[in-house]
Amino acid sequence: MTDAPATPEKRYGTAGDYVQLLKPRIMMLVVFTAVAGLIAASGVTGQAMHPMMAAIAVLAVALGSGAAGAINMWYDSDIDQVMTRTSTRPIPSGAVPREEAIALGMIMSGVSVLLMWLASNWLAAALLALSIFYYGVVYTMWLKRSTPQNIVIGGGAGAFPPVIGWAAVTGNTPLDAWILFAIIFFWTPPHFWALSLLAHSEYEKAGVPMLPVTHGAKATRLQMLLYTIVLIAVSMTPLATGLGGWIYGVVAGVLGLVFLSFAVRVWRSHAGDADASGADRKLARNMFLFSILYLFLVFAAVIVEHAAGLYFPLGAI
Amino acid sequence: MSDDLKPGEERFPAPAQLDAAGRAAQKQRNLWLGLALLAFVLLVAITTFIRLGNTDLSKGGFYYHNDGKSSEEAPELPPGMSPDQAAPPPNLSAEPPAPEAEGPETEEPEQ
Repeated sequence: MTDAPATPEKRYGTAGDYVQLLKPRIMMLVVFTAVAGLIAASGVTGQAMHPMMAAIAVLAVALGSGAAGAINMWYDSDIDQVMTRTSTRPIPSGAVPREEAIALGMIMSGVSVLLMWLASNWLAAALLALSIFYYGVVYTMWLKRSTPQNIVIGGGAGAFPPVIGWAAVTGNTPLDAWILFAIIFFWTPPHFWALSLLAHSEYEKAGVPMLPVTHGAKATRLQMLLYTIVLIAVSMTPLATGLGGWIYGVVAGVLGLVFLSFAVRVWRSHAGDADASGADRKLARNMFLFSILYLFLVFAAVIVEHAAGLYFPLGAI
Repeated sequence: MSDDLKPGEERFPAPAQLDAAGRAAQKQRNLWLGLALLAFVLLVAITTFIRLGNTDLSKGGFYYHNDGKSSEEAPELPPGMSPDQAAPPPNLSAEPPAPEAEGPETEEPEQ
């Protein structure tokens, strides 16, 4: 008697699977940058939200981020199944049915926008709705599979949270809010392409036109370097507008130089090429991990300056 | 078995048969859904109470317009006049406006 092929054990979705559907790690960064925008707005303008309303507004941003993640996983379940890195996600693994994922995403979108409107104002709610639409529809359904510039343009979706936080406090979006937007916008390409240098064969297998797939690793490494230079320039603009003080300047300056050194070394390496060594791959991976630390610390500096009363403007010393 | 469905009609799918693990997972999901709904209701209630708390409808120094957005400060009252003696603004007046005079009254002709 021959052994029958083992049938995969049927999986039932747990609460943890539904949490995974909301992309919790992205959600943490989104919430953190939204809080930074909220605190910076209070520090710069002197306006303050009711603490409970501020907490609900932050929760709304988290829910909106989760909703966009669920919509993304619903639409991308076919390519997630193909790529090893994403094949264990809740939909391809069979834990969560596709229709439940889109239902969760749509309901959470509505709830998050409604809560934001109730807790703050219509502008913040509209910006939250726009960011969900931008990530769920513009990036996921349109850009991701059609252009190698997908994560450049799509990066706008992840850049909205500090603007939303700012709008929640003041009801408007001045230049300082859009500077925070620009920092995340120009941070996204070197951050994401560092990862795609490592996983470009997976994207190729799934038919996703990431830059390393369409233009090669060398062109990608050059683009990463150029975007890093722009990022460093943009990250210095808060010093000119008064949004950032000495602490911010030192943190953004030092981290920017480290980021630049990573970008130069990756540019000179063979990361993403067929003949890439283990050290090259490690370098790209380290740049990806450092980019997360960079964004976290730069926004932490904004929070520390405006929340802890440690704001010392450049002209004051 | 012959299909007695009319054109356009669909047969309902058979109900899902869940095993013990499936029922447990379904129960857990239902619990989380219930808690999420409760949290949503509480959050809406909290925002409503805070918003109402910030709106001082009893404040006497302002007239609130019906557009729900604007208000204007009430003019200073004459010395010695209390707010309850002051007449409401014309657009909030409860009494109908007095009819305009239409010239001298004419006596009805004697019959």
